[in-house]
Amino acid sequence: MNKRRSDDILAAHAERLLSQPGAMQQIAVEDEERNELDPLFALAEQLYQSMPPVQPPAAFVHSLGKELAGSAKHQVATARRMRRGVLIGAATVGSLVSIASLVGAIVYIVSRLRARSHAHAR
Amino acid sequence: MSEESDSELIARAKEDPAAFSLLYERYVKNIYSYIYYRTGNHHDAEDLVSRTFYRALKHFARYEDRGAPFSAYLYRIAHNMVANWHRDRSRRQVIPLDEMLLSSLKREQPAAVAEEKGEQEILLAAVRRLPPDRQRLLIHKFVDQMSNAEIARIMGRTEGAIKSLYHRTLVALRQDLLEKGRGIDQEESSDEQEALR
Repeated sequence: MNKRRSDDILAAHAERLLSQPGAMQQIAVEDEERNELDPLFALAEQLYQSMPPVQPPAAFVHSLGKELAGSAKHQVATARRMRRGVLIGAATVGSLVSIASLVGAIVYIVSRLRARSHAHAR
Repeated sequence: MSEESDSELIARAKEDPAAFSLLYERYVKNIYSYIYYRTGNHHDAEDLVSRTFYRALKHFARYEDRGAPFSAYLYRIAHNMVANWHRDRSRRQVIPLDEMLLSSLKREQPAAVAEEKGEQEILLAAVRRLPPDRQRLLIHKFVDQMSNAEIARIMGRTEGAIKSLYHRTLVALRQDLLEKGRGIDQEESSDEQEALR
């Protein structure tokens, strides 16, 4: 049998198994195909029976949820504080650079004026 | 439960911790089932589920929503957690409490129920011997009851690739069960031969 055809038949069988457990016989497959795939159909049905959804204990879900909510709150607050810190830091550095350039410019102008007055005095 | 999509919750969770809790509530059962079937016991499942969500939260600020379901991110973390767990476990031999409880229960069960339970255990043990991606496929299909399209999205493959993987998984699983069964038969027949001598 073509491999793609087998893939499709097995996939259809699984989907039927999950949606309508009683309707497995309705898949249109030829006898030869059915004989060939029967062991795999049976295995899929066994898997379906053996793998029911598992529920985590409610107390566990509740307590972990509570812990995670606390951690998420802390994490968001830390990120906010960090962003604010970076912003304040950048503003401080910016201000310091501006003040330093202003002082530098004043010192430069004063020194130029002094040099000029010395030259005139000579 | 919230009607918001994963993308909306993810965007909101960056600033609002309550949104992360909604994502947790949405996926905790699936992640628990996945880890339970991969480890085979509730105690380790609880431990690994906690670690999975804590890790997801820790790296959440760097998480980028690229359209893939959020569960794919969680399953990836859970997968790594389980892989580490198996590695650590292979270094030290541990008998899970659930297995001990099961074997003590088996003694108390009527023969037919015990036999059925035994077959189920053999099958689940064989599933746990499969490569991780095949185990994952079976868990998504039979436990989470997802369609091939959903599994393809979560596992980052095409639907055709999932169908093909499913086929190969069933063949490999059957082969494994036959080999184990044959192994037992061989042991029995050699015992019989020894008894005849």
